[in-house]
Amino acid sequence: MSGLAQDSVLRLAPGCRLSAAGGPEDLLLIPEGALRLKGPARTIVELCDGKRTLPKIVEELKRRYPTEDAFRIETEAVALLSRLRDRGVLEHV
Amino acid sequence: MKYTPRALIAEVTHRCPLHCVYCSNPLEMQRRSDELSTGDWATIFEQASGMGVVQLHLTGGEPLSRTDLTELVRAGREAHLYLNLITSGVGLDEPRLDALIDAGLDHIQLSFQDAEEAPANEFAGTRSHAFKLRVAGMIRQRRIAFTINIVIHRRNIRRLEEMIAFAEQSGAQRLEIAHVQYYGWALRNRDALLPTREQLDRSVEIVDAARERLQGRLRIDFVLPDYYAKFPKPCMNGWGHQQMLIDPAGRVLPCHAASVIPGLEFSSARERPLRWIWEESPAFNRFRDESWMPEPCRSCDRRTRDFGGCRCQAFLLAGDAATTDPVCTLAPMHTIVEETLQRVNGGGDRSWVYRIDPR
Repeated sequence: MSGLAQDSVLRLAPGCRLSAAGGPEDLLLIPEGALRLKGPARTIVELCDGKRTLPKIVEELKRRYPTEDAFRIETEAVALLSRLRDRGVLEHV
Repeated sequence: MKYTPRALIAEVTHRCPLHCVYCSNPLEMQRRSDELSTGDWATIFEQASGMGVVQLHLTGGEPLSRTDLTELVRAGREAHLYLNLITSGVGLDEPRLDALIDAGLDHIQLSFQDAEEAPANEFAGTRSHAFKLRVAGMIRQRRIAFTINIVIHRRNIRRLEEMIAFAEQSGAQRLEIAHVQYYGWALRNRDALLPTREQLDRSVEIVDAARERLQGRLRIDFVLPDYYAKFPKPCMNGWGHQQMLIDPAGRVLPCHAASVIPGLEFSSARERPLRWIWEESPAFNRFRDESWMPEPCRSCDRRTRDFGGCRCQAFLLAGDAATTDPVCTLAPMHTIVEETLQRVNGGGDRSWVYRIDPR
């Protein structure tokens, strides 16, 4: 499994949540333990609110990171989201 | 401090309605009258969170035996911990489950003893299987992470495929299949529980095939019996490296079995700050680095990966917690394990003994 359909709408699966904002480190807490979130990963996961489609998430990221390469934002965000979906951390709405 | 605790295993009670023949709780259990209060636990959760702990595993005994379990969950969430309940399900009904979820429970790990009712009840020493099925039904109707845990051994391993099929239909996202680990009461019943080499090999084949078939639908975690391994397990990922366990009376231990080791004094969270116990107490530092290691560990390339294996097992099998884990094929005392394996591979089923509940 890899890649995500353009109309994908994702949200955190049951039992998966972000550590408290402003805590000592950004973690994605899951039943088996915790995944460390680096760089913009926390923001990317936060945008998976069960409403935004994949293009909307990418659009929002481009808006928030205007100095970053747009193509890179898109490929890295899609790669992270499909990895988390495959692990069962994110689910399709 | 080089080591940050990431998980706290809270044995909130040793009371349990089940009497599993492979129970991993210590032979000497803590009594109800010695159990920590709700407030004691809340203070502990706060301290643990401040030290870097992110995961709280509420276990026992049966945590549902405590009437304040919902308050414990709430206290854990207020301390920003991830809340995992490890339970037999006995004591759960719909209102109580809803209250636990409302209080912030993140994940339920529900145990089963078999896929078939009669043997499941036999291994649990009580008629609990039918009730557990109803509990699984309640959990699947709610939005909460759900894992099924099944302990396998000589007498149920032949139904492994049925167990996997059962988990597949249960609504769980994860299945943990764990071969019995030989500590506590399980060690007493070891010769009746250890699978044969043939059974073990078959279980590995079955799990491999199921993982492939169920990819993306059901995650399977598989714990092997270390008696058959070539090298020991990296027990707790190292003594005092990532995890701590607090027993019902507040004693803080590096693992659930460490109280068997003579000469170690485990401090109580009632009397000492948790940080002192983790960082400074002699018991937590006793096997933390490599200075305790004898040969062949001391010069072994694997010492940074498996830490010489399990200290409790070294004591339980070889009578010395500071020797190489005897399951290691390089260990001087490995013959103890070989003799056990020869005996259990010799054929014939043995009987077991049931444990009773603490007062």
